Amino acid sequence: MPELDRRDFLKLVGAGAGAAAAAGCSERVTKLIPYVIQPETITPGIPVYYASTCRECPAACGVHVKTREGRPIKLEGNPAHPVNKGALCARGQASIGRTYHPDRFAGPLQRGSDGKLSPIAWDQALDVLAGKLRESAAQTWLLGADRGPTGNEVLARFVSAVGLGGRIVYEPFAPESLRAATAAVFGIDTEPLFDLSKADLVISFGGDVLETGSSPTEHARQLAEARDVATKERGGARFVYVGPRLSMTAGNADEWVVAKPGTEGILALALAKAAIAAGAGAEGGHGALASLAGGLDPATAAARTGVDAKTIERLGAALAKAKAPLALPPSTGLTSARGVATAGAVLVLNQVLGAVGNTVQIPAGSGTKTTSYKDLLALVDAMKSGKVSVLLVHDADPLYSMPASSGFAEALAKVPFVVSFASSIDETTNAAHLVLPDSTPLESWGDASPRPGVRSLLQPTLAGLFDVRSIFDVLLDAGRKLGAEVAAKLPSGDFRSILEAAWSDTAWRDALARGGVFAETAPTGAPGLAAGVAKLEVAEPRLDGDGPFTLLAHPSPMLSDGRGANLPWLQELPDPVAKITWQSWAELGQEAADKLGLVTGDVVVVETPTGRAELPAWVRGGLRDDVVAIATGQGHGVGRYASRENDGQPGEVRGVNVLSLLPTLTDEAGGRAWLCTKAKVTPAGRKERIAFSQASDNKRQRELGETVSLAALLGEGGHGEAAEGEGVGEGSAGEHEFIVPYNAVDDAAATALHRWGMSIDLDRCTGCSACVAACYVENNVPVVGEEQVIRGRLQAWLRIERYVTEGELDYRGGRPARSSHESLGNVDVRYSPMLCQQCGSAPCEPVCPVIATYHNPEGLNGMVYNRCIGTRYCANNCPYKVRRFNWYDYNLKNFPEPLPLMLNPDVTVRGQGVMEKCTFCVQRIELARQKAKNERRAIADGEVTTACAQACPTQAIHFGNLKDAASVVAKKSADAKRGYHALQELNTRPAITYLAKVTRGSVEG
Amino acid sequence: MTPPPPAVSVADMIRPVPTPPDSQANQDILAVMGRPTLPYWLLLGFLVAFVHAAGAVWVYQVYEGLGIAGYSHPIFWGVYIVTFVFWVGIAHAGTLISAILYLFRSKWRNAINRSAEAMTVFAVLTAAQFLGIHVGRIWKSYFILPYPNQRGLWVNFKSPLVWDTFAITTYATISIVFFYVGLLPDLAIARDRSTGWRKLLYTALALGWHGTGRQWKAWNRSVLHLSGLATPLVLSVHSVVSWDFAMSIVPGWHATIFAPYFVAGAIFSGFAMVLTVMIPVRRIFGLEAYITNYHFENMARFILLTSLIVGYSYSIEYFIAWYSGVEPEQTSFWYRAFGPYWISTWIMIICNAVVPQVFWFPKARTHIPTIFVVSTLVNVGMWFERYVIIISGLSREYDPAVWGLYTPHAAELTILAGSFCFFAMFFVAFIKIFPVIAIAEVKELVIHERAHGQGGAH
Amino acid sequence: MPLLVGVFDAPGNVVGSIERLRNRGYDEVEVYCPAPFPEIDDALIEKPSRVRLFTLVGGLAGLFTGFLMTIWMANDWQLVVGGKPFTSIPPYVVIGFELTILFGGLMTLLGLLVFGGLPHGRFGVPDPGYSARFSAEEFGVTVRCKERDVAEVDALLRANSAKEVTLVEP
Repeated sequence: MPELDRRDFLKLVGAGAGAAAAAGCSERVTKLIPYVIQPETITPGIPVYYASTCRECPAACGVHVKTREGRPIKLEGNPAHPVNKGALCARGQASIGRTYHPDRFAGPLQRGSDGKLSPIAWDQALDVLAGKLRESAAQTWLLGADRGPTGNEVLARFVSAVGLGGRIVYEPFAPESLRAATAAVFGIDTEPLFDLSKADLVISFGGDVLETGSSPTEHARQLAEARDVATKERGGARFVYVGPRLSMTAGNADEWVVAKPGTEGILALALAKAAIAAGAGAEGGHGALASLAGGLDPATAAARTGVDAKTIERLGAALAKAKAPLALPPSTGLTSARGVATAGAVLVLNQVLGAVGNTVQIPAGSGTKTTSYKDLLALVDAMKSGKVSVLLVHDADPLYSMPASSGFAEALAKVPFVVSFASSIDETTNAAHLVLPDSTPLESWGDASPRPGVRSLLQPTLAGLFDVRSIFDVLLDAGRKLGAEVAAKLPSGDFRSILEAAWSDTAWRDALARGGVFAETAPTGAPGLAAGVAKLEVAEPRLDGDGPFTLLAHPSPMLSDGRGANLPWLQELPDPVAKITWQSWAELGQEAADKLGLVTGDVVVVETPTGRAELPAWVRGGLRDDVVAIATGQGHGVGRYASRENDGQPGEVRGVNVLSLLPTLTDEAGGRAWLCTKAKVTPAGRKERIAFSQASDNKRQRELGETVSLAALLGEGGHGEAAEGEGVGEGSAGEHEFIVPYNAVDDAAATALHRWGMSIDLDRCTGCSACVAACYVENNVPVVGEEQVIRGRLQAWLRIERYVTEGELDYRGGRPARSSHESLGNVDVRYSPMLCQQCGSAPCEPVCPVIATYHNPEGLNGMVYNRCIGTRYCANNCPYKVRRFNWYDYNLKNFPEPLPLMLNPDVTVRGQGVMEKCTFCVQRIELARQKAKNERRAIADGEVTTACAQACPTQAIHFGNLKDAASVVAKKSADAKRGYHALQELNTRPAITYLAKVTRGSVEG
Repeated sequence: MTPPPPAVSVADMIRPVPTPPDSQANQDILAVMGRPTLPYWLLLGFLVAFVHAAGAVWVYQVYEGLGIAGYSHPIFWGVYIVTFVFWVGIAHAGTLISAILYLFRSKWRNAINRSAEAMTVFAVLTAAQFLGIHVGRIWKSYFILPYPNQRGLWVNFKSPLVWDTFAITTYATISIVFFYVGLLPDLAIARDRSTGWRKLLYTALALGWHGTGRQWKAWNRSVLHLSGLATPLVLSVHSVVSWDFAMSIVPGWHATIFAPYFVAGAIFSGFAMVLTVMIPVRRIFGLEAYITNYHFENMARFILLTSLIVGYSYSIEYFIAWYSGVEPEQTSFWYRAFGPYWISTWIMIICNAVVPQVFWFPKARTHIPTIFVVSTLVNVGMWFERYVIIISGLSREYDPAVWGLYTPHAAELTILAGSFCFFAMFFVAFIKIFPVIAIAEVKELVIHERAHGQGGAH
Repeated sequence: MPLLVGVFDAPGNVVGSIERLRNRGYDEVEVYCPAPFPEIDDALIEKPSRVRLFTLVGGLAGLFTGFLMTIWMANDWQLVVGGKPFTSIPPYVVIGFELTILFGGLMTLLGLLVFGGLPHGRFGVPDPGYSARFSAEEFGVTVRCKERDVAEVDALLRANSAKEVTLVEP
């Protein structure tokens, strides 16, 4: 740069500050600080990005790790990566916290005679491990998640070289039933790939693909593409959801078929039959179908599934008519003891509809034999009978994520020596004798291959904060200690060199830079049906116990199988549907609750043959009345945030682990079954405050989450929240006679080059909350904890409001019921991101006595923390309530060491007593301005975007310069038919234009 | 000096009044400032102690953060602002009685204006504190003053809060000036009749007042002008306070009626507070001869009048909410009456609009216990009025997703109680240090009546 | 020179005696009143008090300060707030008004001190001829005259129904 200007100076200072914060954490870190010898790649104040891969879930999205002064501070999607194409889900965003987690082990630990874990040196630790291996290699088992091709290979070599008992690959949510079904139906042991983007009619049989499926980010993007009103005609693809619960995915569907849980397969077959009756299926599958769905005429199917015959015929006809239909199998929650048959039936339906080879790809099976749940159960038995003397656990927390009824706890207690490779405390590690902390994904080398043709790389982006080592190097070193012949059988060199060798078939540096090698494989074509089809027994699943309710243990979108529970952001991110944070809750249907005399907040006792749990009820219309739904993920007794430790009650369990209620059932092929028990629900006679992040889902017909009917959009008249100019949201308060049209561009200085604006497409927003997580990480937003959330002090700058229907002017007193407007079969759910609207005539500005908030020349509503004295008038006067106040010194109290290291140095950490809010990521704008300024030009479109827009899987959010008429945001904002401004009758002149959600109506036959 | 004839009640003094004995007024009124009794010390001690306790709570709040109060996300203002408005309202009676009634030459004010002015000063001081207690960063609150600074940054004169700062400062200053000017002659009286430290104090404060011609001439003129200035000030201060709310877009706040509505409410509560305080004071110190039922009756009339205005405002608010056809406004008012805050709302309506109606009956207006009960209820009602306006307004705004509820927490309630003790502490001290009745002005009446009684000396 | 003090009960008599004394050419007359009686002050000093001038000046000063300060400060560093003009008079009226009152009030106080001759006398030393009675309910008229006139003044005061007349300084 020509000379050091103010901003650069500030950045240097910021870097210094970051350094100061980092100092005293460990001497390794302090080396980052004073650049006595400046690393070539690093300019203080300028972020450096490294391509890597997210390891939060098996989807293996590509990420760009944003580092500042050698410290990762944020993860962003890798645009070049075929899976996520630049987006990154909430869990991915939050996963950066694992590296800076206050619970992290500083080095290896050994459990002493006193029963406490105490530090030891690596050499010792390795000797201990080697010693154990020498004693009883054959009785040593390796248990953990998939670690990618190279990682798995190294582990396999280790197992064979040392002669271990074996390795169990354990992924609680692994779609084993689907895999087995594919094997049965098509004779290929593989996972089918579903491409929603090509479909014009998607029917999901309980597949929650948008939040907890096999690849949520990818599927969300594909669905949005398929339904893009701008490019696809007549609103694009239709989406039908079959299932007992109005999940997030269901809320994004056009039609919700409320079938009995477990009968998805039957319905699939019935639909297949109906489709054929309606003339579908030139392709094969008829024969198989005949044997499978002999007597499944609509009437009988209706009786068995609880879906009326007319619907079945209508949907069958629609599927027959569809050019590119796609049927999605159930995901984890609805995987029953008949999981294989159910998934098989869905695949058969796809086959009948001719979807296979088109919207459904059956990739070639990978030769490597994968272990399954039943192998794990076998191991558990072995452990019980004392046949296992050493258990090496990595990347998994079986003690938590195995159903209590499996007896894993007793089994583990019988194992004399348990080694954990976890990088921070979890249930299993808490019972381990030796802890050899693995490096976190941000610190380690590795690769992943979510599907054939896609090979993704992990690279370390941070000099280890702690004295931790990669599991592979540890095992290799331990193995080599066992003598020459073992060492000979092990791959040579450290894991990095092994990885590089494994990638020798590629241009290593390019792959590293791009994040991997992405060769999209050509469509495999449609394999014919295999003989296995005939063996499928599609029927109602076995459910243990009795009781009026079926227990639906559905995966938590944020906490997943519990691995997210110790990440404070994921705990505080509201569940997209329930809008509950930090807690467990039992969902009950409205009628069922009325029968039991329960209201939201009443504690209920849920009893199954294998356990009982007490937790507060959330009564909702969007759930079958014969189902009680509990999310996975809570119920940890250790972990600063997973347990109640951070609330000052160490050892106290947070919430309820639904796995304590589930019997240990498997599907036909030995895969894990989740939908497997009935339950009794009785009132416990007490209440609990639920940590809701949203007060009401009643929109009261106000102009917030608007919809526009497809008919109105296509100008076909007809009734609908119609579309004259601003006319979205007819029926909203005020009927718009007060609305003054305006041009947001006028709200920037005439001389300014930019007027920053945003467009949010509610038709694309799925409510996944990735944007919220991104905002937390980007803007150092503090996590406040359960008690504060209950007191209504959530600090989120960006929240996703979930409204159901237009709402009504109900005048009931007291606390509004959280879910008053859901009803079975109703999919009118509006997800509406709410953030600072950067108003042109902002109500918050004139009331501030000290000009701590003002309108900057580029149209941003600036917030000057240093000037704020905390009168809080601005927040009172903000109709959108997007301003948050620092009730406490979150800055000091809510970022325990070493969390401060992940703070974004470009964003002030707010102190006690000041107001804070979204400013369109002004720090990113300023960063982009540097380049533009040096080149004496305006910031180009796409050169800068906000954290929320960057993260969005469906690109519902667009940010840019409204003064540039060619910019995407300007074009989107100009949409007269769908565009509206939140509460526009207040004439606050927002810079954000919402595009109303399109209601496509249910599917015509 | 001729021996004093037996004392006669001033009750009949006004119409027509027999001349009280020579300087009887001095003796009676200065007697109040006599040696304090044990109960007095106990009371004062308790007040001082409680004020300190509340102070400690406040210090803890500054250290810990406003989180210890009951605030939640939609409700950013709570008991502190409620109490601020309440005390500003109380502060209105004094200046009103002194200034406006002075201009109207309603002489009956003389018996109560001193104590009323004192209350004004103390109430303003109490209120002003709450601005500081309320803000998030008290240590930066001086930013609100337009002082030159190296940032070159001034304050936002468009903000009602800045208006507020100016209005409250002005009001406090003018009230103190008014209080002091009115006090001058009485200080001289006290000076001439005291010894020891009191002598020193009064000599200093009296500025050598002799009641000479030019002193009285300047004094009369000053009082006239101060009254002239204070009258619009009284009306403006609570208007400005009301604009803190009316200038916002919060449903239930954004109303043009607020200024007159708040001013009436302020006078209403001010008079009520004067009554609540003066009735016991008169009883304890036997001032029946000077503060008579006649005074109380007149104040009761004022309370009746202002109660009608306040009641009218309540109904108009609802009418406008309905008539405007603005749904958020309607919802807000519906919740105000029937929502979670219905109790507060009905306390407000009954205490402020219904109960005072008993003053239509002359019997009630002259029955001291009744007046005392009513005025106390009015004070309660007026506190709840502000509570209802602020809390229920904020809890139901435009975005239903972030509606919320608010319940005051221990810290706030302690500080609220502390504010009453703070006010009482000053008043109790004042009783023993300054004449509770404007002696000079009482004498003005006495002498006039005496002169006329003697048919003049010309 | 001798100083006589006449003690009166009724303000009317005080006024009468002041007028007579003046007519007889006694100018060093002072009165002590326990309460405000405009007629007495006017009898003593014809000209209306100039306190009002102070009030006026103060008020105007306040008004101008208010408007000039607000307008200048709002334009000294122009920051857009709520999309409103920098010089928006209506809100500034409030400041102008408050300062009018503030300055006016303080100037009035100053006027009282200046024209009331306060502080008066030496600390804790009352005027000769002043008595605590005059802060009770009696009026005092002091006259400074030549010795030969003492008798006349005394008579004159008594003639105007002074309760008693005493010679405090020979």
